[in-house]
Amino acid sequence: MVDPHSLVNDDASLISRRCWSDASVYEAEKQRIFGRSWLFLGHESQIRNPGDFVQAYMCETPVILSRGEDGLVYASINSCTHRGLPVCRASHGNTKRFVCPYHNWSFSVNGDLVAIPQEKQVVQRPDKSSLGLKRVPRLESWRGLIFGSFNESIEPLEDYLGDMRFYLDAFLLRFPAGIEFVGSPQRWAIDANWKLPVENQLGDVNHGPFLHAATIPAEANQEIVDYGYSVVPRPGHGATFRLMPADAPVESVGWGFESIPGQTGGAELQQYLREVHARAKELVGPIRSRMKGLTYGIYPNLSFLWSNAAFKVSHPRGPGKVEYWSWSVVPADAPDHLKKILRTNHTSFFGPGGILEQEDSESWMQQFRGANIDFADDRPFYYGLGLGEEKPHDDLPGLVSNTANEYYARAFFQRWRDELAVEM
Amino acid sequence: MSAPNVTPELQWSVEQFYYREARLLDNRQYQTWLGLCSEDISYSMPGRNNLLVNNRERGHESMIAVDRELEGIESDGCPIRDENYIYLMLRVERSFKINAWAENPPARTRRIIGNVEILDIAGDEYSVVSNFHLHYSRPGARDFFYAGQRRDRLLGIDGDYRIRRREIVMDMADVNVPTLGLFL
Repeated sequence: MVDPHSLVNDDASLISRRCWSDASVYEAEKQRIFGRSWLFLGHESQIRNPGDFVQAYMCETPVILSRGEDGLVYASINSCTHRGLPVCRASHGNTKRFVCPYHNWSFSVNGDLVAIPQEKQVVQRPDKSSLGLKRVPRLESWRGLIFGSFNESIEPLEDYLGDMRFYLDAFLLRFPAGIEFVGSPQRWAIDANWKLPVENQLGDVNHGPFLHAATIPAEANQEIVDYGYSVVPRPGHGATFRLMPADAPVESVGWGFESIPGQTGGAELQQYLREVHARAKELVGPIRSRMKGLTYGIYPNLSFLWSNAAFKVSHPRGPGKVEYWSWSVVPADAPDHLKKILRTNHTSFFGPGGILEQEDSESWMQQFRGANIDFADDRPFYYGLGLGEEKPHDDLPGLVSNTANEYYARAFFQRWRDELAVEM
Repeated sequence: MSAPNVTPELQWSVEQFYYREARLLDNRQYQTWLGLCSEDISYSMPGRNNLLVNNRERGHESMIAVDRELEGIESDGCPIRDENYIYLMLRVERSFKINAWAENPPARTRRIIGNVEILDIAGDEYSVVSNFHLHYSRPGARDFFYAGQRRDRLLGIDGDYRIRRREIVMDMADVNVPTLGLFL
């Protein structure tokens, strides 16, 4: 593989097109980025009861996230230890056993091998205790968000998230019973590199007034100019939001009001949103109650879209293909009929049919094409907007700047470059 | 549901309505098309899951029924689209702005509507299912093929119709098309 330092310059203001398109870079990313990081698997609300499971991926590796009979959370690689077939074909469900279709080896929901139908006919019985599904060696969660890692010596998830927890909590603690993931993720393929959706959500607020001019009103963009911040709590993570004035009316600061359901979902929903906001100061404190989020990113490939209440994962499928997953999230204790309105925060605006997101996925495909051309390697992409303008802030942990600064991306690519340069 | 009395004239007029609708959409006359929608329309596209087989339903058609797979607007899950007239208006408005980049230049579409079946008549409301095949070609990309079923409720108005409810059941297991945001 080419030297990562030749792909990303020192301050990451110039980034080679090969970062998004080179097959050897991609192979190295699998081992050195995805093999070493905490990767998002799912949310505890998806597997409430013993036997519940959902499918997940860690890079291209299929994983079953489940709740065992003992009530604990497990993550196992979805590949039979006999011939490698996936033992689970359903996207989610509840079961006692995963049975491989080929020879009926069967596994408990936590991945232990419990039966080999052929073993009665052979003299030397295999040691079933060593033939369970491969377990993801590290598994930790933050406020219900479950992460796994193939890196046995990785730092604790809390340290990995670092000050990103301050920003995650601004949303997650706002709801007394936390959040829940609604139903199945929307999943769709995009002809782009996995980092392109990630960068977009990590802090690329700059594209809003232009790419989305057909749908985002000018006043919304002005609000971002007036009150917007882009924060890098730790390189690789990012948070963008508006910090509204202390005297801002609830309709302009409270979560949910700016969405279409917030505006047209009826008086009962608006009353509910007012009640949520009335408790915000007590639950998340005076600064964070004024936060009106835009997008977040957690290294390497998890995103959270606060404004439209969705978690998203960019699953790589080769240098030029992404399988993008996104879940709508709602407050866990909202009444059921209001949850049905709140979920439309995400559906219809984002996802494969999203009024807004269709422009984004088009751009990611086009940037990938631009990253995959010949005869332009002496014109790396310019990521230098706002170079060095990020500063500490009294109330906000991390390095803080306005939303025009591309430090979020430079910090991501510096971390990416440095991790890619370390051999396994 | 009782078998409705579907006369050849009724069948013909519903089919003609769908052919006209298809022509408007393929000609990108979305503003005109919006006029075919009732202002209380529910326009949705369920998600579609891969599920475990329920052992107790072995041997019964219910075991692999299509409806089991659907995560629609009545479910506690999350449909792909769940829209009312406001959303459709937004989509139509967007289509005629110069910066709707995903459709600039616009995709070429051609759709065939078939298997039109009137399942029920209740007063002036008709429950109709129809199938579609759609060819989609976006500049600079490969061509795509969409297939699915529309489950409609049409409101009869003076020999014409308005779409009051449309549920679009897509047939792809994995979404490998550039957008599901089309008018289908």
